[in-house]
Amino acid sequence: MKEQKNEPRWFTVMKVTAPLMLSYLPIGIAAGILLKSGGFAIWMIVLLSIAVFSGGAQFMIASMLMTSTPVWTITIMLFFLELRYVLLGTSLSKYLKKAKQPFILQFSASMNDENYAVNYLKFSTDKYWTPKDALGVEYYSLAAWTIGNIIGGILGSTITIDLPIVHFALTAMFLYMVTMQIKRRILFFPVIISAILSITIVVALKSTLGLIIATLLAATAGYMLEKSIKKRNVKSPMLSKIKGPKNTHEKLHSVKNVKD
Amino acid sequence: MDTELKRHLMIVGFGAIAAFIPRYFPMLFFTTRKVPAWFNEWMNFVPVSLFTALIAKDIFVTHDYQMTFSNFNMMLAAIIVVIVAYYTHSMLLSVLSGLVSVWGFALLLATFGL
Repeated sequence: MKEQKNEPRWFTVMKVTAPLMLSYLPIGIAAGILLKSGGFAIWMIVLLSIAVFSGGAQFMIASMLMTSTPVWTITIMLFFLELRYVLLGTSLSKYLKKAKQPFILQFSASMNDENYAVNYLKFSTDKYWTPKDALGVEYYSLAAWTIGNIIGGILGSTITIDLPIVHFALTAMFLYMVTMQIKRRILFFPVIISAILSITIVVALKSTLGLIIATLLAATAGYMLEKSIKKRNVKSPMLSKIKGPKNTHEKLHSVKNVKD
Repeated sequence: MDTELKRHLMIVGFGAIAAFIPRYFPMLFFTTRKVPAWFNEWMNFVPVSLFTALIAKDIFVTHDYQMTFSNFNMMLAAIIVVIVAYYTHSMLLSVLSGLVSVWGFALLLATFGL
């Protein structure tokens, strides 16, 4: 590994993680406040932040604590929510082929949506980026997340918050992730299908299990549509990429080419 | 041990397991094997579908599982969040603008008696 500057490697990695750490603090605080008002003790919030380390999961636990949902329902809902990590782990695995098994164990345990995004971008654009650096990104973001949660837990007993409004933090986070992920036109199709199916199936079953059914059906519908379009016309405009604002997607791409 | 503490410990323990399984096993499996192409292509559609399902439920389904189309503040705030996310690529700004606008629109709509 080549040192590019005279600063220690951990500092370089931390600088890469800094924007993520900054955005984890307020969201962590919100999660901590919610968990505290759901009845969690602060040491329990710390334990949860380290063991689960997932914004979506922790907001979901907080809202289910208030409705006194049975533990097994919470567990199943969390499992299905976290199933998306299958995708993240699978797509990062090609960069970790030389890593040893204990490292994979350590690395996967602290992976989540945002540090995955940082690491995926670094692995694909920076040839000096190592699995050890990637683990550093995970631990720095975990530290920021846990500190945010602790601050939230301390504030929790002094601040009363409007729950439906703070719950929207989670909705906004998902909206952000969808917006970031729609990089091709065809992805609008599963989005529309999933929204319609989610509302109808959740209401029909009176259960959040409907979310999973909607997800599987919509993803399969998107996959089938892509296959059938490709069969007819590989250059169909439906399959083309979406230009970002000020061509940001294209800029990312050219950065990659220069580094290669 | 009192029942509430026990319940919380169970949530943390089972939550950790539920979060660990989908993180670890696919990575373990695919660092040693090749990912089948169809699986990769199908998985491209999973995250957007899941996130959209969650968003749609949050905005259009009440806590007692009734369909609702009256959360106007959330609908308007959702549009703001998408615009902010698209232009800034920042999770922090997206979440903050979402919180501010969902609160602001709720106040505004209440003033107009909606």
